[in-house]
Amino acid sequence: MEFKDYYQTLGVARDATADEIKKAFRRLARKYHPDVSKEADAESKMKEVNEAYTVLSDPEKRAAYDQLGQRGFQGGSEFTPPPGWDANFEFSGRGYNGAQSADFSDFFAELFGRQMGGERHSHQRMRGEDHHAKIMLDLEDSYHGTTRSLTLRMPKLDNRGQVVFAEHTLNVRIPKGVHAGQVIRLAGQGGPGHTAEAAGDLYLEVQFKPHARYRIDNKDIYITLPVAPWEAALGATVQVPIPDGAVDVRIPENSHGGRKLRLKGRGIPSATPGDLYLVLEIVLPPATTSKAREFYQSMAQELAFNPRQHFGG
Amino acid sequence: MTHDIDASLPEYTQFNLDQLAQGCQVSREWIIERVQSGLLWHDETSSADPASWSFDSRSFVRIRRIVTIERDFECNAELASLVADMIEEIETLRAKLHVADSHAHRKNSEP
Repeated sequence: MEFKDYYQTLGVARDATADEIKKAFRRLARKYHPDVSKEADAESKMKEVNEAYTVLSDPEKRAAYDQLGQRGFQGGSEFTPPPGWDANFEFSGRGYNGAQSADFSDFFAELFGRQMGGERHSHQRMRGEDHHAKIMLDLEDSYHGTTRSLTLRMPKLDNRGQVVFAEHTLNVRIPKGVHAGQVIRLAGQGGPGHTAEAAGDLYLEVQFKPHARYRIDNKDIYITLPVAPWEAALGATVQVPIPDGAVDVRIPENSHGGRKLRLKGRGIPSATPGDLYLVLEIVLPPATTSKAREFYQSMAQELAFNPRQHFGG
Repeated sequence: MTHDIDASLPEYTQFNLDQLAQGCQVSREWIIERVQSGLLWHDETSSADPASWSFDSRSFVRIRRIVTIERDFECNAELASLVADMIEEIETLRAKLHVADSHAHRKNSEP
C-alpha cells in the first residue's frame, strides 16, 4: 500500500494552521467541483482532496497521521502501519461519515478503518449505510430497458476488526421508462447493517450520455428536423427516426424555421410519458449548379419576398 | 461475487419527506426549512402539510448537491441554493449547446 501525503494533496506545509488547511481545501473544492470543473479527473481528485481534508481538519487524526510522517514515511513510499502506531489516539469521527468513506482509499481505511468498526460497536443495532453512485445510460435504454453491471466497493470488517474494502459486482436490470435525473433505489444493496439490522440502500442517479441528435429535457425529447424549403412551404409528410423506431410526421404548410411539432406521449415512456418535439430547420439547397441558380433567380423575380421587411426603413 | 437484481422505477420516482430525508442523510426539519424558504420545491399538487409533500428525483439530486456545498464552504442555505440553481442552468445550457454544436458540425462537413 502506498503512503499518501495529505499535505501535498492539499498543497500546504506540514506546519500549516487549521485556517490555512481550510482555505486550501475550499480553493480545491472549487477547482474540482465535479459539476463545474473542466479538469478531466475532477471527481477522483475531489475524492482525494476530501480524504486529505477529513484527516488534516481533525486534530486527532492529523496528530496520528503526523506521527507516521515523523517515522519517515513519505508520499508514494510503500507503507504498512507499524504496530500500535495509533496507541493513545482517540478518534472521535468528526467530519465524515461511513458512506463518504466508501470513496476513500485503502490507505485511509487501513489507518482509520478500525475507528469505523469501533463506531459500529458503540452504536449497536445500527442500520447499514446508504451508498450513492451515478449510472450512465443511453437514451435508447429508456425506451427498451437495459442491464448494467456495477462494480461497488463495500467496506466490511475483517477478522481483526479492521475495515477492508471488498468489491462486488451487481447486474442491475433497469426497466424502460428511466429518465435523466431520476434516482433508482436498490433496497438493501448499501452497506451491511450491524447484527440483525437491515442493510443500507444503494441510490443510483441516472444520467444520459450526450447524444448528437437528441436533447433530453426531463421526460421530453427534442430533435432538430431538417426540411427542404418546399416541404416547409407546401407541407409534406416525412419519415423521422426516433429512439423507438420511426414515425411519419406531417409538416403543416407555411411552416417557418424553428417551428416545434409536438408528438404527444412519444418522449420517455412512463405512466405519464414525455413528449417528443421536432424542431424544424429549413435547409437550403446549395446554388452550385446553373440549374439551381436559375431556380433561385426566378424565385427572386417572381416572389417579391423581403425577409427584412420588419427592419423598416 | 456477482448477482442480479431488478431495479424498479415507478414507486421510487416520487419521494415523500421521510424517504427524501433518509436517502439524502438530512433531517426532516432541514428539508422543511428549505421548502418554506423557497429553496426546494415539492409537487405543486400536495398541500401545506409536510406529511403530504411529494418530491421528484430532481429534488434528491439537488439536496445532495446543496449539502455538499454547504458543508465544503460552510456557507448559508441561500448561497448554496444559488450555486445549485446555476449548476442546473449550466446543465441545461450544456445539453442545448451539445446538440447545436453537433448539428453545426454535421452541416459544415456537408459538401
